[in-house]
This record gives sequence, C-alpha cells and structure tokens, in this order.
Amino acid sequence: MIEIKDFTFRYRESSSPVVEGINLVIPDGAFVGITGSAGSGKSTLTYAMNGIVPHCYPGDFFGSVTVGGLDTCEASLTDISRIVGSVCQDIDSQIVTSIVEDEMLYGLENFGFAHDQIEGRIGRALADMGIADLRSRVIASLSGGQKQKVAIASILALEPKVLVLDEPTAELDPASSLQVFGLLARYAREHGTTVVVVEQKIALLSQFADMLVIVDGGKIRFADAPADVLAYSEELLEIGVNCPRATTLMNRLAATGLYAGPVCRDVEEACRALSEVIL
Amino acid sequence: MNGFLEYVPGDSLLHRLNPVAKLLFAIVFAITCFCTGNLVFLCCMFALGIAMAASCGMMKQVLGLMKAVFVFSLILAILLVFTTPQGEMLVELPWGYIGTGSLLAAATTIVRLEAAAIPLFLTFYVTKISDLSNSVVKVLHVPYKYAFTFASTVHFIPVFMNDMKGIMEAQTARGIEFDVGGIVNKVRLMVPLCVPLLVSSVRKTNSAAIAAEVRGFNLRTRESGYKQYPFSGADFVVLALAVGLLAAAICLTVLL
Repeated sequence: MIEIKDFTFRYRESSSPVVEGINLVIPDGAFVGITGSAGSGKSTLTYAMNGIVPHCYPGDFFGSVTVGGLDTCEASLTDISRIVGSVCQDIDSQIVTSIVEDEMLYGLENFGFAHDQIEGRIGRALADMGIADLRSRVIASLSGGQKQKVAIASILALEPKVLVLDEPTAELDPASSLQVFGLLARYAREHGTTVVVVEQKIALLSQFADMLVIVDGGKIRFADAPADVLAYSEELLEIGVNCPRATTLMNRLAATGLYAGPVCRDVEEACRALSEVIL
Repeated sequence: MNGFLEYVPGDSLLHRLNPVAKLLFAIVFAITCFCTGNLVFLCCMFALGIAMAASCGMMKQVLGLMKAVFVFSLILAILLVFTTPQGEMLVELPWGYIGTGSLLAAATTIVRLEAAAIPLFLTFYVTKISDLSNSVVKVLHVPYKYAFTFASTVHFIPVFMNDMKGIMEAQTARGIEFDVGGIVNKVRLMVPLCVPLLVSSVRKTNSAAIAAEVRGFNLRTRESGYKQYPFSGADFVVLALAVGLLAAAICLTVLL
C-alpha cells in the first residue's frame, strides 16, 4: 500500500512548494492514473513514491510517504528500489546499454538475482511487453515506441511490487499507447502489482485505471474512480485537463436533463447511451 | 543506422574475441605504434589495422575515422615539416629548412596516428559496451563504478551527437546556413549552440544517474555480472600477436 500523508515538497531552487498538503492512499494491486496540466506537480508526486524525492532532488519535505511499509524519506533509494520499479520520462537517459538483452540484464545483475532465475525473468518480461523478437536488437536501431517498451520490460523483469511510470506512452502513437496500457493492466492484474502512471492521455487512463488522480497547482483536486472524476468534465477543462469529447458531450446532455445515465468514458459508451435515449 | 562508436552486430572473429583480449590488443597495438619510428613497420601496422577492419566488415566506419584522424594528424604533420630541419634540404626557411627528413617525420606521424587509432576504435564497433565494462570488472578487477562511468561516457557520445544534430537542424530551419562560409563560419555558428547542448547533456546525465540508481547501481559487485568472459585459444593468440608486434617495434628501434 502507498500512503501519502500531508505531503508538501519544495525543491531547493524553488521559492514555493511544488506539491502541497497531498493526502492519498493507494491500495495494493490498484492501477492508478495521475494527470494534470504541465507543472501541476504530478511528476513530483511520483518522485515521492519512488524515493527520487528527497534522495536525488533535495528540498523541504513535509509529511510522510510510505510504500510497502517503507518511509521513503528514511529508507535508502536502493531499498525503495527493491519494492518500486520506475520508468523515467526520458527513455534515452534510462537506457544504459546498447543491446536489448543487456538492458534487461542491467537491473537483474545489480539487484543480484540468482543466475538461474535471470533467463526466465527476461523471457517473461519481454513476452509481457510483446517484444520477445527484439531481444538481440541494437537499441539505437529501435523506434521511440520500441525503446519505451524495452525500458518498461527492463523494469518488469525485476518484478517490483509497485510500478511507477512517468508518461510511458509519450513517444507512442495512439494504437501503441493503447497496447502498452493494455499490457500494463494485464500485467498488474496477473501479478497483483500496484501501477501508478503519470499520463496526459486521460481517455486512456479512464479506460484502464481503477483510480484517477487529478493534480492542479500542487494539490489533488480529484481522486476517485474514473467515471466519478469524469463527471466533472467542465471543472477539469478549467484546470487544463481535457476530457474525451464523448464524455463532455454526454455530461452536457446530462446537465440539460436530456441524459440521466452513468458517465460515458469513450465513444462506444456514448453511442450505447445515446441509442438507448433515442430509441 | 549506427552512430559514432556504437556497436555493430556481427559474427566475425573480432566480434567473437574476448572483450578484454580485444581491449588489451588495441592498447598494446597503439603503444607499439609509438615505440617505433620505422615508416615501413608503421605502414605494416596500418595495413594490419585495415585488414582487421575489413575482416569484420567495418571499412565504412574505419574510413570515417581515418578521415577525422587525418585532419588532426595533418596539423601535427605541417608543424613537423616546418620545425624539423632534417635530411637533405628541399626548401630553405628563415628559421631553418624543410628537408627530406622533415617530410619523413610528417609522413611517419600521419601513418602512426592512423594505425594506432584503428584498433582502438574498432574495439568499440565490434564489442558491446556492456560486455566491455563487465569484462574489465570480472577479468581485470576494475571497480564497477569506473567501468560504468567509462561505458556511460561512450554510450552517451552518439546520444549527444544526435542532440547536437537536432539543435543544428532546428537552427537550419530558422535560416542559419551552416554550409556557407567554410569551417570557420561553421564553428562560429556552432559555438552558441553548445550552451543548449550543455544544458541538455547535464539534464540527461542527471536523469541517467537517477535511472541507474533506482535500478540498484549501488548494489553492484564484481560477482553480479551474469555473463562469463572466459579466454579461448584465439584470445591468447591475439594477445601473443600484440606482444610480438611490440617486441618487434622495440627491436627495430634499438637495432636501427
């Protein structure tokens, strides 16, 4: 379980806190999506979960963040990393080797996994991300999307209890983004892994996440089931979060009394709801 | 498309050799080139380097390298021509003369630098950088932190070169003409671009350090490496060849 209590953080070089008074509880095995406008503090929130804040980016840290019982402020980054697997926003920086297989090996070797487990872990992680055929490829020859999948697979190989991903589909086309989210959701279900994803694509998050967290100005504005959060599409738009058009349309219809059903998260749900209304 | 110093997959003998053997051979080969001034011997070393490149299909990469080294060595050669008055006088200068010995010294410098550079650079093209760093940790007992620092430096060279290319392309799109006015103008236009490159490099290096740390970098020991790097007969032959070449160079220097 991830438990954030009254968390406030100010980077050393900043004059004001980036996040302030954050309270959030993420149960084990949950798939949580965090979104918000640029500079709202969503990345800092994930840095607090994987220990990068305050261990790598020092500053004023108030409150507490515990992950799997470890206080991220007290525990070393290495100890936190045994529980939390992190995929960074800048994939080129995360990749440290030149061949996919070596990239997979890097974390496994560092954490000292038994050599007889390594082969199985690499094979499973590559298969889980659907890139088993890339195993011997030179990373420089891969597309941005393939690199992103390699970066995620290299973390999945460690089989962490918590997976924190910062914009994992930033370089992916819509079809690949959907595929990655599908793979992550399936992986989380099968392994009971807690997944926390920072992502701008709210349509994707609402489709796969159990909980949607909306951050604005360093504070959590909404933290609930996607359908419950998307019901506030007008408020979300005001803080720079653009809901799917189908959701906004149905919410407006609901506001005018023309529709009284549940919130629609995508075009398919809206079509079904509209056909019921019309017919 | 592989970039500068990026591993090129293959199955040649050079690809299959132990990374440590390749590295030691390249270092001893380079030392050998500096142990003798015999132009014929250096030409043989140069030919051997070319043959090695051809054997693993790296001629294109080596030709690119030779071009870069030639530019650098030419500067040294020109300095030598004007400052080494040796042999039969060909051109008289106010401070001395250019002689046959001057030209020989210049040619020797060019061939020496070209020959010394080829195996060193070839090592990176035929060896995965992770194998190189892991093997020096396992076999030579080099501390992992140093090996990783070196490997990361080599790994990031093409990344930063790509960044620079991107920055230059962005400036070209804004109307900056890098190709007009020769090398001096190009350098003049590139200098201000070093600032954004530096900022991006520092940011990337910081992110890479964090990414390595959250993947257990600090836990790494010599025993952590999954792959083993045993020496085969071919590795010993290659090392013996390197020692033989070094001995030959020393003998030539002492005897002639």
